[in-house]
Amino acid sequence: MATKKEKLKESFFASPLYDFLSPFRPVGSQYYAEYVIVFFALVIRCAVGLGSFSGAGVEPMHGDFEAQRHWMEITLHLPTSQWYWYDLQYWGLDYPPLTAYHSYILGKLGSFLHPAWFALNSSRGAECPDLKSYLRFTVILSEALLYIPAVLYFTKWLGRFRGQSPIGQYIAAAAILFQPSLVLIDHGHFQYNSVMLGLTVYAINNLLDGYYAPAAACFVLSLGFKQMSLYYSPIFFSFLLSKSIFSPSFNVARLTSIAVATMTVFAALLAPIYLSGGLQNVLQVVIRIFPFSRGLFEDKVANFWCVSHIFIKYNQKFSLDELKRFSIIATGVGFAPAFIVAFLHPKRHMLPYALASCSMSFFLFSFQVHEKSILVPLLPITLLYCSTDWNVLSMVSWINNVAFFTLYPLLKKDGLILQYFVMMGLSNWLLGNFSFVTPRFLPSFLTPGPSVSDVAGTYRRQSFLPESLFWKVVIVTSYLAMTAFHVLDFFVQPPALLPDLWILLNCAIGFGCFTLFWLWNNYKLITMRNKTLHDL
Amino acid sequence: MNKGSKLPRAQHAKSLDSRKYSLWNFWVCSLAFKILLIPGYFSTDFEVHRNWLALTNKLPLKQWYVEHTSQWTLDYPPFFAYFEWLLSQFVPAKVRENGCLDLVEIGQFGMPTVVFQRITVIISEILLFVVLQIYINKSAANEKSASFVVASSIVLSPGFIIIDHIHFQYNGFLFAMLIGAIVAAKHKRYLVCAACFTTALCFKHIFLYLAPSFFAFLLRAYVLDFGNFKFKSYNDLIWLVRWPNLFKLGSVVMVIFAVCLAPFYSVMPNLLTRLFPFSRGLTHAYWAPNFWALYSFVDKVLTFVFLKVPYVHNFLSRFISPPLIPATIEQIKEKLEVYNVGTRGLVQDVYFVILPQVQPKLTFLLTLFYQVLAVIPVLFHPSFKRFVGSLTLCGFASFLFGWHVHEKAIMLVIIPFSFLVTSDRRLISPFRLLAAAGYVSLFPLLYESQNFLIKLLYSVVWAIIYFFALKQTTKVSSSVRRRVFFLDRLALFYIVMLIPMVIGVELLNALQWKYKLLQKFEFAGLVIYSIYCSIGILCSWMGLSWLYNFDEPLWQ
Repeated sequence: MATKKEKLKESFFASPLYDFLSPFRPVGSQYYAEYVIVFFALVIRCAVGLGSFSGAGVEPMHGDFEAQRHWMEITLHLPTSQWYWYDLQYWGLDYPPLTAYHSYILGKLGSFLHPAWFALNSSRGAECPDLKSYLRFTVILSEALLYIPAVLYFTKWLGRFRGQSPIGQYIAAAAILFQPSLVLIDHGHFQYNSVMLGLTVYAINNLLDGYYAPAAACFVLSLGFKQMSLYYSPIFFSFLLSKSIFSPSFNVARLTSIAVATMTVFAALLAPIYLSGGLQNVLQVVIRIFPFSRGLFEDKVANFWCVSHIFIKYNQKFSLDELKRFSIIATGVGFAPAFIVAFLHPKRHMLPYALASCSMSFFLFSFQVHEKSILVPLLPITLLYCSTDWNVLSMVSWINNVAFFTLYPLLKKDGLILQYFVMMGLSNWLLGNFSFVTPRFLPSFLTPGPSVSDVAGTYRRQSFLPESLFWKVVIVTSYLAMTAFHVLDFFVQPPALLPDLWILLNCAIGFGCFTLFWLWNNYKLITMRNKTLHDL
Repeated sequence: MNKGSKLPRAQHAKSLDSRKYSLWNFWVCSLAFKILLIPGYFSTDFEVHRNWLALTNKLPLKQWYVEHTSQWTLDYPPFFAYFEWLLSQFVPAKVRENGCLDLVEIGQFGMPTVVFQRITVIISEILLFVVLQIYINKSAANEKSASFVVASSIVLSPGFIIIDHIHFQYNGFLFAMLIGAIVAAKHKRYLVCAACFTTALCFKHIFLYLAPSFFAFLLRAYVLDFGNFKFKSYNDLIWLVRWPNLFKLGSVVMVIFAVCLAPFYSVMPNLLTRLFPFSRGLTHAYWAPNFWALYSFVDKVLTFVFLKVPYVHNFLSRFISPPLIPATIEQIKEKLEVYNVGTRGLVQDVYFVILPQVQPKLTFLLTLFYQVLAVIPVLFHPSFKRFVGSLTLCGFASFLFGWHVHEKAIMLVIIPFSFLVTSDRRLISPFRLLAAAGYVSLFPLLYESQNFLIKLLYSVVWAIIYFFALKQTTKVSSSVRRRVFFLDRLALFYIVMLIPMVIGVELLNALQWKYKLLQKFEFAGLVIYSIYCSIGILCSWMGLSWLYNFDEPLWQ
């Protein structure tokens, strides 16, 4: 019982993160810890950035790196009316306007350094080392300005609310910032997801503070950066709606302010588009953003449609319209519980759970899902590292590993295997997940474990595993399956007839785990409805 | 649980027992970082070491110091050659096919070779962790936390990250032996100390700069005995020497040197010219931030001033006679044409236009002079602190006044100083100056844009952690009141200003292609680096020298 209580107090007690940050425990030096985790988070992002990026040297289309660079090129040189029309076959802009503005600013800055990097047309496929460094730098800058402060604010707010020690808050922040999937996708593969996710966290922070209109504005900005954050929208909608009409009572001022904020930000985002090219231009943006003419799924992805496609060939049996209808219905049924609970119990501690459940059902059942979209459900899940419940932490840590695992085929294509394994190891080790590897026959200074923190020599930290036997079995089995996948992928060639067999195996493992997690999440949602932020 | 968590501090000695002070976590964490650095930039030193792998593997021993297919001939002492030979025995077939062991003029190799060699650096560096772990384990309970701070500051040092894991060298492993010698000296294991230092010397002869201090310390502490010495006649001097000790010490040193050099007896002249290439210029391609960098800079400024404002020259000529400065403006112009230095000033051989030329002999004498000054107190009082102080000052003297100094040699100063700094609060200021300026002066080694953020952020976070931790763990001495606070603030200001300096120079380089003016001053960035850093290092040296020579209580 004593150990259980201790666990509740310091969920990461005796983990390497705890070990590294505990010297900063004295009151006068706590603020050092903040610098230290932020700097190390940035250093590790820089180091990952030394590696390859998506589509490096792949003619003629390259990859996401080229797409982002190309958008800087077209936003810089073309009038706004042309942005969503120009040569759509070659990485036409298909993200909402905020991405375009973001690209414009970064392109402006970059062409001050070197105009050739973003010269119209002639710069296509440019990937010289200095350009790569510049673009990597812009990702780090965007993340340092948006995502990292947002996460720090979130963890500090929760920590202060619950009377957690500052070091505990920083450990949670570090656990969130060292989430490997986002690091590898943004700084390895190359994208700017941290902007969208950062804006979403700001929206959540505003909800924690009870600023509803700013929350709505932040969320619309997030939506205006990447349509993927639409996965969150039902929850924000139901939460805000419920807060203004229902709990505790009908609140006209709040409802109006939310509506006005939403409309204003939307209008502001679309105004340049409308003013330059009229309504047609706005429609084109919508068409580009929602590619319903594409297939049910594009690459192999760990969701329901891709995995069940092995058994049911949807594209032969059904028309595209039917499939669209199915996916919409399935998604709607999927997020209904989260939506309803968020509406009936719009409490702050429900936010991460509801957002996770809702976005996960989008990921599992909606149309045209990319493997990278897992970052969207992963954000609220990772924010749960602030939880003090051992079971929750275990589930979060597990699903983070699974999600990172499902990104492996993509990262392999990008040539980031080394970074994948290092980050997989590092992130788990920091959380203390490798503490089961503790040989007892070695002299104490050679035994892995806390070295500077004040932890008894006999204390053994457990790895993150829930208390229930069922979940223990599930998690251990899934880890074994993942290991088996890596062994197969490394040593065995897939049969010539099925070259994608290993990738499908990867997706199947991922899908299984995501579904189980989603069910647990929904169960948690129901049981948490009458609790408070202290029980998060 | 909160009992002892107030941080490593001497007064918490009781609760310290449960802390393990193991470097294990730091190793794992830095390992992950080092692996991520593998695909990044490496310098020509990588090809140098690859070539040494190839030549020690392919050629008989006698040929090692004669061979010159590649321009990167073997110029480290034999132990390092043996080490390369040993490594070459473990080259896997895949790496061999990749061209790792081809003895060619310009190496052709790919990722497998890079991974292999990077891994050898990472593995050989384990020795550094082992030695420092021994240092921690052996230190007394009340100084364990201070030892731990020192040890972890060394293993995480941005110097090793930059030089070894990005630039590519084996310093972590080599400095492990030097640290071994220092630790042995601390515990009065003089023979071990001598053996470690001699071995280090036989791996990399740059440690020769520290030899005077080791010589004096071992001589006074181990060989000479003033305890029962009473002078009656000169015959008594014989009893001053502890002959058995001298014999043991001598044989240890001789045996190591013999093992190192004997196999190369027939090619000794080749070996020596390879090890000591005196034909090189005063300053390295990039001015190491030492005294000569300032000297060159003053020369440049004077040239500029004299040419633009001839009156200054007239005025000065009244006080300074012609051999020291040129007699007329025409002479200056003539000299400029002959040397063709102009504003560039970064050719292999540096000539001075206004100031007198510097001869190797002069640099040698200056170095020796300051080293002797540093060593004399050790002869009077061979305590461990004195010894480490003299070691640091020897490193300083050779770095500041030496001939053809590499910027990397700053590690020879920083590492010994680390063992000293926890003993007194007043040493922190010189140490901070040295560490900050020294590590920043390594930045130009990594000139590629991809390394810019890494080197800057990593060094900054190292500085944040260890400037804080050292302040927490160092003892406040009785004489702390004599500290000049103004100078401390100034030092802090200097350190903080390093960051805008680094960023400014980077911007200067990034915009160079755009502006003619910047192209004209192509090396302005490097000059700014070496001038700014040399000021810090010089000040640090003066601060330490002052304390070393005039502050008694500190060295007891």
